[in-house]
Amino acid sequence: MRVDPQKPRERRAAPRAIGLLALLSLWLSAFASAQSAEIIVNPAQQNISLNRNLLRAIFTMQLRAWPNGPPIRVFVLPDNHPLSDRFYRENLGIYSYMLRAAWDRMVFTGTGLAPTVVQTEEEMRERVRSTPGAIGYIGTTGDAYSPRFPEPRAILTGMRQ
Amino acid sequence: MMRQQAFSLSTVLATLVACAPALAVEYQVHGYAAQGFVYSDDNNFFGESSDGSFNYYEAGLNASVQVRPNLLFSAQAAIRDAGISDDGTLRLDYALADYRLLENLDSSVGLRVGKVKNATGFYNETRDVIFTRPSILLPSVYADNQNQRSLVFTGPGAQVYGRKMLGRHELSATGTASIERNVRKSDERLLVRLAGGIPFDLRIKDSWNAQIMDSLNGGAWQLAVSHFFGTFTLSTPETIGLAGEFDVSISTVSIRYNAEKLTLTTEYALNPNRNVVTLNGARLLETHIVADGAYLQGEYRINPRWRAMARYDASFIDRRDRNGREFAAANPTADRKSRMSRDFMLGLSWNDGEHWGVWGEAHWIDGTRILQALENPGPSHADRWSLFMLMAGYRL
Repeated sequence: MRVDPQKPRERRAAPRAIGLLALLSLWLSAFASAQSAEIIVNPAQQNISLNRNLLRAIFTMQLRAWPNGPPIRVFVLPDNHPLSDRFYRENLGIYSYMLRAAWDRMVFTGTGLAPTVVQTEEEMRERVRSTPGAIGYIGTTGDAYSPRFPEPRAILTGMRQ
Repeated sequence: MMRQQAFSLSTVLATLVACAPALAVEYQVHGYAAQGFVYSDDNNFFGESSDGSFNYYEAGLNASVQVRPNLLFSAQAAIRDAGISDDGTLRLDYALADYRLLENLDSSVGLRVGKVKNATGFYNETRDVIFTRPSILLPSVYADNQNQRSLVFTGPGAQVYGRKMLGRHELSATGTASIERNVRKSDERLLVRLAGGIPFDLRIKDSWNAQIMDSLNGGAWQLAVSHFFGTFTLSTPETIGLAGEFDVSISTVSIRYNAEKLTLTTEYALNPNRNVVTLNGARLLETHIVADGAYLQGEYRINPRWRAMARYDASFIDRRDRNGREFAAANPTADRKSRMSRDFMLGLSWNDGEHWGVWGEAHWIDGTRILQALENPGPSHADRWSLFMLMAGYRL
């Protein structure tokens, strides 16, 4: 589900009586809540095709290496970040609390590593770009970013069940 | 002994970090610490709780080093105090090497060697980490205040594990074999009491554990069957000649449903015990008794920070005499309610989504099975009692 960038602008035009600042924050929050998540990977992994089962195995930290060998490095935003919740639901079909339970089970039994938590989307882009084998997610903002997974629309369509 | 193990393991980890190529090595350090408060209107639980007790806390620190994608080393040191049932001494909770023999997109198989956790039910492996439990007090099938904790909890040995995707099903299995080990002195006093202060030693012979789990639709439904078998052996000095063998098995069926706001969990555990005591080789006593217990639990996530829960939990020492009437008929001075516990609880918890969590819960209990005798001396206890627990924790 991709957001039409025109829609928030239409919403902005309606409540003329509200002050500009309030209007802007309303526009921003409307935009943020409607934001979809998009998977990003380190450029070295661009040619791997992702499906829902593979993404689940990666984000539940069960798969430790990419099919072509290098270790997988998973980056996530904090559990209560709206984008995390959206990404886990829409792209993995899992709720945030279930992933946290799966990670905790690994961390506190010594059977796996937890994903690395980053605080902002900017940091996510930077860490995924600079870390070999990295995968993460960002909000769909419409701007083109080179390490983004090719043809995201096709991938998202393919993952719906 | 334990400190030496921890030291040698940290040396190994440090060496591995130093030797391995920097690019491939990934390490993490995590920990938790939580302090509890327990108040009971009658009877003592996890300390002198009838006066309000802070004698309940847990903390742990762990490190994991992934040397290569298929090789992981990890260890956790932990302390826990829970009244008479745990004494706050430092222990090595786990220390293992995990080697992934096979891994592809829809399946994996691996081997763990060292001190590993037993997979029994949904919660046993991480039972002392409040952030992974549904409530401060685990349901009675986990025997949090009981005697078999030390047996089931963790042990030195080997574990095989595997995972296989089959359509919408993710099947996973673990099998664990643990070698003979000693029982800590603080646990021995809970398990065996010999008249006249006769000295004894209690050990656990090799134990076995297996779990099979089916996780449907990414975990919306989770179904598991677990089995554990182990034997305690009791020995006394030759001049006394008293010996014992106590077989314990635990079979658990676990079902969980995970929805957006609601999680429903139910588990049933069947727990046969066979106790044989001999004197100079001659059979003195043999008992066979099958305990069981079950619970139904609902958790409701009000929002990402707040969660409410309710649980009904029942456990019985003898499943053929759940109300204890036969036992009371045979032992006129005994209280039949000591053979069971029925516990209805309501809880509320809060977390900050990152480091902090606070839990509160109230239990209304009928029966005294879950009490520790050493904490509640004397023959008579209040059958109907209630328990109020608070806990605050930090994780990193």
